[in-house]
Amino acid sequence: MIGQLFRLTLRGIADFGLHPVAQLLTLVAVGMVTLLTGLIIIGLHNINVELLKSRGEVEFQVYWKADTKTEDVLKDWAVVRKLDYLKDFKTFTPENALTELATTLGETGDFSWLADNNPLPYSGLASFAVPPEAQDEGWAARLLTELKSLPGVDKVHYTPFQADLAQGWMTITRVIVWPIIGFLALIVSLVVYNTIKLSLLTRLDEVEILSLVGASPAYVRWPLLTGGFIQGVFGSALGIGLLALVHSVTAQTLNFPPFFIEIQFLPYDQLGIIAGAVTLVSMASSWVAVK
Amino acid sequence: MFSGQSIVTTSEDKDQFHFKADETLKVIGLLQVFLQYCVQAGTKSRMMVKVDRLSYNFGAYWALKDISFTLGKGEFLFLTGHSGAGKTTLLRMLYGALPVNRGRASVAGFQLNNLRKRQIPQLRRKVGVVFQDFKILPKRTVFDNVAMALEVRGMPRMNLERRVRAIVRAMGLETKSYSTCERLSGGEQQRVAIARSMVANPELILADEPTGNLDFDLTMHLMDIFKQFHTYGTSVIMATHSREVLDCVPEARILHLQDGCIVTDGESSINEENEEDD
Repeated sequence: MIGQLFRLTLRGIADFGLHPVAQLLTLVAVGMVTLLTGLIIIGLHNINVELLKSRGEVEFQVYWKADTKTEDVLKDWAVVRKLDYLKDFKTFTPENALTELATTLGETGDFSWLADNNPLPYSGLASFAVPPEAQDEGWAARLLTELKSLPGVDKVHYTPFQADLAQGWMTITRVIVWPIIGFLALIVSLVVYNTIKLSLLTRLDEVEILSLVGASPAYVRWPLLTGGFIQGVFGSALGIGLLALVHSVTAQTLNFPPFFIEIQFLPYDQLGIIAGAVTLVSMASSWVAVK
Repeated sequence: MFSGQSIVTTSEDKDQFHFKADETLKVIGLLQVFLQYCVQAGTKSRMMVKVDRLSYNFGAYWALKDISFTLGKGEFLFLTGHSGAGKTTLLRMLYGALPVNRGRASVAGFQLNNLRKRQIPQLRRKVGVVFQDFKILPKRTVFDNVAMALEVRGMPRMNLERRVRAIVRAMGLETKSYSTCERLSGGEQQRVAIARSMVANPELILADEPTGNLDFDLTMHLMDIFKQFHTYGTSVIMATHSREVLDCVPEARILHLQDGCIVTDGESSINEENEEDD
């Protein structure tokens, strides 16, 4: 049984020599389809990476209660400075804040008359840059709670634009992008299936003869399955190789002001998924094509 | 039949296919050795084929209409009739290429009415099929083409090689064992096809105009081979409309089909019919 399986596998490999042109064209078609899929996924991957990068950048404006003692405020500031992923923390005493306000408003901003009765509290502008891997669910809300829970803090404001943008992307991804990828996968399957089916037309005589001499369907299909596997493996390798070539040429095309985007190549796990999916589709196509 | 003169099969085969009568005798002798080697134990039933009120239609066209006959083990049956008489349809039904929906049929112990898809390979392992157009793989060697019938049965390699070599030798193709079939003449290709159908020692051989593409001398040679197999107990159903072929096996039964119906069943009737044709 194992010996027969081994022989059939070898036959599947050897059969590549019977119709080399048809096999080569199929291989190129599978490679091209893999390249097309890879280009689409690489585009989505890079949009995702850019959004995840900016998604983690969030600023909080923190206001302390007016009656908080200076030493308590300083303690709170020390706590803030120890928070994870803090990128920058600008602090303002009431005096600093008044000066900053006056500077910002220019000539109309003469608040010297308020110097002895300054209504502004201690405040701070905390900027965080949370990396994508630390952006688990509710991370922004947790930061907000953490800042609000400081003993002297009165209120905290933040602009949720970036987080909302990223959230919106995730929603779009879920609702639109994945169906589009699914649709593309379907196209890939059909292209590979048809290409392999066409290449199998050259072998219909063999299938017929094997069937006539009493070969079981599994016996007939095994060499074809081997062929589909080889087409899938080598075709996806060819496609990924071309994808790497295209990437190496275009990686720096957006790396200039104001974008500064270096196009990233796909991670190994995603490459593995593409190669595996193409190989599986090729094998399934070979199996179904002789039905 | 072969008087020692050189026989050219076709004009294009002139350079590659010459054989003499002594070579034929050698082939037949070797065939006998091969057949003695692989003679099978008797089957449980003496009935090889039983067809009862069998019909088949392609849309509105009825290719077979309510035909019935039986074939005993070891019997030689010719199917005759003009093109479109239903010979090929009947043969295709007998090896499971067409379903049996109307009427009943059994072949080598398989009920074709209830035949499941997975049983078709088992049926075909008991039935050898030979076609007019050979149906061999031209890019494979003679050995590979013949071995195919045993490989699908999972026969151990050593036995397989011994058996294939024996029948290839018996067919007079031993010097071409490792030549690809596309390099062989028409007659040699048909011998490869016959070797493939017989190497597994089938209980029944179905041959659809196997000599249709061959000249007279080669036809006679191949009929000798069929007769040898028949002599050793293999049942044969052969579709033909060649009188020369019918004359080769005078003891054979002849079933004459016309428009999908059996019009005569027996030796004498067809001879009369042939005479009328002449």
